[in-house]
Amino acid sequence: MSAYQYDHQTIKGFIISSVFWGVVGIIIGLWISIQMWQPSWNVAPYFTFGRLRVVHTNILGFGFGVGAIFGLNYYISMRLTKRPLLFPKLARFHLYLFNTAIALAAVSLFAGMNQSLEYAELEWPLDIGIVVLWIIFAVNLFGTIIKRKEEQMYISLWYIIATVIAVAVLYIVNNLSVPAGLFKSYSLFAGINSANVQWWYGHNVIGFIFSTPILAMFYYFLPKSTGLPIYSHRLSIISLWSLVFAYLWTGAHHLVYTPLPDWIQTLAIVFTIFLIAPSWGSVVNGFYTVAPDWSKMRTNYLTKFFIFAITFYGLQTVQGPTQGLRVVSQLIHYTDWVPGHVHMGTMGWVTMTVCASIYYVIPRIYKTEIYSVKVANSHFYLVLIGQLIFSVSMWITGIQQGALWKAVTPEGTLKYTFMETLVKNYPFWQMRTVGGLIFAAGMLFFVYNIAMTIRSGNAISGPASKGVR
Amino acid sequence: MAGDIYKKPVMFAIVSTAVILIGTAVTMFIPMMTAQMHPRIEALKPFTPLQLAGRDIYQREGCNNCHTQTVRPLRTEVMRYGEYSKAGEFAYDRPFLWGSKRTGPDLARIGKKYPDAWHYRHFENPRKFFQESNMPAYGWLKENNLDPGDVKGHMDVLGFSYSEEEISLLQERNELDALVAYVQVIGTSIPRRRAVRTQGKTTTAEIKNPLAGNQAAIIAGRDLFEENCSDCHGEDAEGDIGPSLIDDVFLYVEGDLADDDYFELINNGTEEGHVEEGRTMKGGMPAFVGDMSREEMWSVISYIRYLKNKQEGKNRDG
Amino acid sequence: MTDDLDNIEDFEAKETAGKLPIGWLILFWGLIIWGVYYFIAYTPGISGWSQAKAYEESVRK
Ligand code: HEC
Ligand code: HEC
Ligand code: HEM
Ligand code: HEM
Repeated sequence: MSAYQYDHQTIKGFIISSVFWGVVGIIIGLWISIQMWQPSWNVAPYFTFGRLRVVHTNILGFGFGVGAIFGLNYYISMRLTKRPLLFPKLARFHLYLFNTAIALAAVSLFAGMNQSLEYAELEWPLDIGIVVLWIIFAVNLFGTIIKRKEEQMYISLWYIIATVIAVAVLYIVNNLSVPAGLFKSYSLFAGINSANVQWWYGHNVIGFIFSTPILAMFYYFLPKSTGLPIYSHRLSIISLWSLVFAYLWTGAHHLVYTPLPDWIQTLAIVFTIFLIAPSWGSVVNGFYTVAPDWSKMRTNYLTKFFIFAITFYGLQTVQGPTQGLRVVSQLIHYTDWVPGHVHMGTMGWVTMTVCASIYYVIPRIYKTEIYSVKVANSHFYLVLIGQLIFSVSMWITGIQQGALWKAVTPEGTLKYTFMETLVKNYPFWQMRTVGGLIFAAGMLFFVYNIAMTIRSGNAISGPASKGVR
Repeated sequence: MAGDIYKKPVMFAIVSTAVILIGTAVTMFIPMMTAQMHPRIEALKPFTPLQLAGRDIYQREGCNNCHTQTVRPLRTEVMRYGEYSKAGEFAYDRPFLWGSKRTGPDLARIGKKYPDAWHYRHFENPRKFFQESNMPAYGWLKENNLDPGDVKGHMDVLGFSYSEEEISLLQERNELDALVAYVQVIGTSIPRRRAVRTQGKTTTAEIKNPLAGNQAAIIAGRDLFEENCSDCHGEDAEGDIGPSLIDDVFLYVEGDLADDDYFELINNGTEEGHVEEGRTMKGGMPAFVGDMSREEMWSVISYIRYLKNKQEGKNRDG
Repeated sequence: MTDDLDNIEDFEAKETAGKLPIGWLILFWGLIIWGVYYFIAYTPGISGWSQAKAYEESVRK
């Protein structure tokens, strides 16, 4: 058993780091949500909206999201290959480098070092650090998989492998730039071409950080925590390949009605709509897996998390493709509808899956049980309500905004000035802050639950015992 | 055969890479090799050192998180912002700054829309112009001087040409100067095309103000003036960023013009170098074609006339 | 149970391993067919449709 002990410490390190960055990112999220209706919350120069917003997205995407991906996918790989990591010391180094990089990332973004590429804002020295992080992950992962003790690779491993490859290609290409000093660079790409490269990256980095590795968790932890086997092997195969194939064509759906050549936009929209099918392959597989025993929704607290998460993924992957259509895009593009979409995905799908996976892993590493299922249930309902308030209010105000921008008088002039349309957002932006607070409260329950579980695990120290309930 | 791949990680990795690269090649790599992805409008000029410094600040402050820089080819959008964006306008943008969220208005056609003075005052405190704006204040940029050495280095990396004089002039400029210089050049490689904006509007048969002297119109006009014009023309139209409207000078030439000239100017805005009735514009008066109805414009004109008469009365009496 | 090894067999149902729900299949092929239609209808080189033309038309109205 002790062969795993060291790796478990590393994984625990990743999980705790991820949760830490999650808390930081959420606090900043609340802050920027307030700035949007109360500009006096801008504190120049470091804490104005323009700078904080990228800290929010980077810390949550790369600190919370990727931290959890590294840790939990190490865990999954070890379990599925039936062996410890091939390079345990490297994994530990990976953990330290990860935290250093995220801390520096936050500081550099506060300082305004910003490439202005969404989700690739970090300047080139940090880019190199990020690439090193992924290379370490890839080396350790492939090494461990190649030296595995189980011949068959389970679905989760496919998703992880595809993730690592895609992220490497995406990240390197989009960040190609000419340095102009240590803290400044200019993109290798210009004009509409740079737009095309950026959104090829932008959409796929969302796909390969907020979809595929999260699906890897879903496919692993759903059967583990429910004890129910995945419904269809074949469905998961077809879903995987069609997802990975189609994803890369779709970047230009972020550029509908821009000066990008029409054919690239059209092609992107075609594949965007197609993406419903592979995404729903996983959704259907998830539902059919639990279908034989829906009572698990009541009796097993984790089932709830996973089933709601995959439901939000399902909604997200219908809503997202629809947004790509020209008729829809012209109404909702650039409005608050999009943050509504974003947060259903990040709060409803990503965060729920990650939290549930952590609930599963931490007690096992500490050989104890979860501190309190009650607290976990409170966590669940709070994040659910918080997220729904957030998304629904953004959808309403987004559609309203899109419609007001287009409204004309019978005389043929615009009906509303920009300010008139802006002001109508304020009540909804305030509502979002309320939703965010409820979500954040839920996350505090989560942090408390995990902390208490770790404490009881430490206290028991020694081979498996019952733990406290 | 196919089942084997799930037992061979290396093979699996190779196949996934190939699958990923197909869409990448068709939609990204191959177009990049063709001319259609590298268009350039002839009138487009590379950034000057001051403008580039401003653009760097725009990036640093993350203005693109609230502002887009593309006007879509949609009717109402063109009405609101101006000519829709063309592919060749962005050839010197490394990277593009189109943005993805319009918390604030699109800036693709902001260049020359307002006078410099308007921007200085707006950056200092956006709430002075728009009480309910949520844009952060950027007056503090004034405190920071530019570093000519840095800017020069950046110009070299981008291969833009400049004179030593331009660089040394930066010594006396601050970051706010740079930002305003950049904002004023955005989207100016396309002519403002006043004709498009006019469409369906000044085909008016009215040459006389139908609301001249109308009491209700004057009152309505006062509110409209306060909302839309006083920021630039002063509380009592005595002149500020824009010229006085109560003197006898119109577009820098002695002698007032008729109401329909007022109408056209308010409707279409002004444009540097454009000549109207033998008078040359300096630019900086925004067009209100999208924002005000015909009746509203006539009301404002009635109000201006009212102020003017009052002023003339004062001049006579005292 | 921490160090009990995972049994891959337990992860996937055997009886339904090769199933593809019919509704999902219809979705899959339906979207591909729709994609072909959309591509033809909205690619300037094929149908002649273009964003700029669509705009001009909307203004002329
Ligand atoms: C929190 C979002 C936000 C940020 C960040 C922001 N703005 Fe704004 N901006 C707005 C809003 C809202 C308006 C409309 C109200 C107003 O004019 O103040 C606006 C208006 C403007 C206008 C006038 C546009 C017009 O057509 O009237 C300019 C120019 C401008 N901003 C430039 C900038 C620059 C440059 C930056 C970065 C230094 C910036 N803004 C940062 C929200 C923002
Ligand atoms: C952003 C600042 C700004 C705003 C807002 C503005 N103007 Fe102007 N206006 C100007 C400038 C600058 C000029 C000079 C134009 C030129 O030289 O091309 C001008 C010129 C004029 C003139 C010609 C007057 C003369 O004596 O030369 C009139 C009339 C006028 N504006 C009316 C209005 C009215 C009415 C409104 C409100 C509906 C308005 N303006 C809003 C800046 C502004
Ligand atoms: C309390 C919780 C949260 C609050 C209050 C919050 C608030 C916000 C706000 C105000 C914005 C800017 C929207 C705009 O510019 O209009 C934003 C953007 C964003 N947030 Fe959050 N957020 C929260 C949680 C999260 C989480 C958990 C994640 C990811 C795991 C996340 C990821 C993002 C992303 C990716 C964007 C960029 C969206 C875009 O570009 O359209 N947020 N958030
Ligand atoms: C098949 C799946 C999906 C498709 C086709 C899709 C499509 C889209 C489209 C078209 C937009 C642009 C909207 C606009 O600006 O007009 C968008 C934005 C976004 N989506 Fe999705 N979406 C999908 C799933 C997801 C998932 C699962 C997430 C996970 C969190 C997600 C996160 C985001 C984010 C963060 C943005 C904002 C990008 C930005 O502007 O910064 N999407 N999506």
